[in-house]
Amino acid sequence: MDIKNYIASGIIELYVMGLCTAEEETELIELRQQYPELDRAILEYEEQVENKMQQNGTLPAAAVDEKILSQLASLKPPADIINMPQQASVKNIHRPANWWKAVAAAAILLFVISGYYNYVLLKKNDRLKSLATTGTSTETLPLSDYTVITNPAITPVAMYGVGTHAICRCTMFWDKKTGKAYIMIHHLPKSSSSKDYQLWAEADGKVVSIGIINDSIRGRFIEVENVPANAIAFSVTLEKAGGNSSPTVAETYLAGKI
Amino acid sequence: MQQPHYTEAELVAALKRYDNVAYQYLYLNYRSAIYNNILQIIPATETANDVLQDVFVQVWKNIEKYDTSKGRLFTWLLKLTRNMAINQTRIKNFKVHSQNEDITNYVTSIENKNPDETAVHHIGLRQQVHKLRAEYKDVVELAYFQGFKQDEIAQLLQLPLGTVKTRLRNAIIELRKELV
Repeated sequence: MDIKNYIASGIIELYVMGLCTAEEETELIELRQQYPELDRAILEYEEQVENKMQQNGTLPAAAVDEKILSQLASLKPPADIINMPQQASVKNIHRPANWWKAVAAAAILLFVISGYYNYVLLKKNDRLKSLATTGTSTETLPLSDYTVITNPAITPVAMYGVGTHAICRCTMFWDKKTGKAYIMIHHLPKSSSSKDYQLWAEADGKVVSIGIINDSIRGRFIEVENVPANAIAFSVTLEKAGGNSSPTVAETYLAGKI
Repeated sequence: MQQPHYTEAELVAALKRYDNVAYQYLYLNYRSAIYNNILQIIPATETANDVLQDVFVQVWKNIEKYDTSKGRLFTWLLKLTRNMAINQTRIKNFKVHSQNEDITNYVTSIENKNPDETAVHHIGLRQQVHKLRAEYKDVVELAYFQGFKQDEIAQLLQLPLGTVKTRLRNAIIELRKELV
């Protein structure tokens, strides 16, 4: 292509004045990337037009200025664009910097959140260790539903009401690896001061106590420890305060199998 | 109030961030050139004022579409301004002209208007265009000030498309000599 003839053809003037056909515009945009002299010629004419028009402007009335400036001051950005980083097309050189900054900011934020979350969990674990007693008692702990339920190691065990207590429900989230289980009571009558609910596990043909359920805190997970890894069934009975060495079968409220 | 100063790249970046101060700067910096361009197409001051306001609001709404690789900010503004002003005249003329008027007569009636006869006199591109020889003046008038496409002009003036293209290019080269 004879780029000098092309530049002199009037196409640049048509383009800058917005009078090109779509095809002419597409061709010119492609060619300006191949021919720096064309690109320079376009920019030069754009600047000439701008300078000439800026020199021959007409000022609107002051009241018009005031009205428009006031409106421009009050315009709100589109809802999905609030302090959006500048577009890549504005200045390509800035894109990697902004991209890096965004990722860095996100990483720092995640790090802070994760640090805080770990701190909270550590504090909770400390509390668990200090409070837990093996075999015969349990403590209620406000572990978040989210933490327990989303743990992929958890085996959920649904426990249903037995006999006249059919309305009773609870779910146990059992972590076989750690031997801990978290019990959420959905429905269970309040125990009297002289009685406690006791949780049992059946393993190796024996039923063993894995803890007293302190049901004073509802709507929270109740944690128990030392759940036998080979347990095949669980039950909850109402026993004398402090618990029994073996379950009172007639007082079984809940039962569930793996 | 101390106005900020922007390079073009800084201004575009600020506009794309929807920085209100940058839009005020844009208005103060370009309003006279933009207003003059509107007045070339719409001599009626009140309507031109409305279009001026609409142009800058449209910049706000459409700034994400502006691609720096396709031209300077002013060139984009100029195109936006021209399109909006022409749209305004079409809305107005649609109301004024009877619906059964032939489009060719309508175009000719506008084309024959001399800008010197308009109520408000503004020095600008349209005056330069009207100094061109008639065959050039017609195509630029229809293309630039009335927004007709090249094939539409060929149809309106009953000329081959190639002739319209040639006249338009020659006309605009002539104009450049006057413009710069």
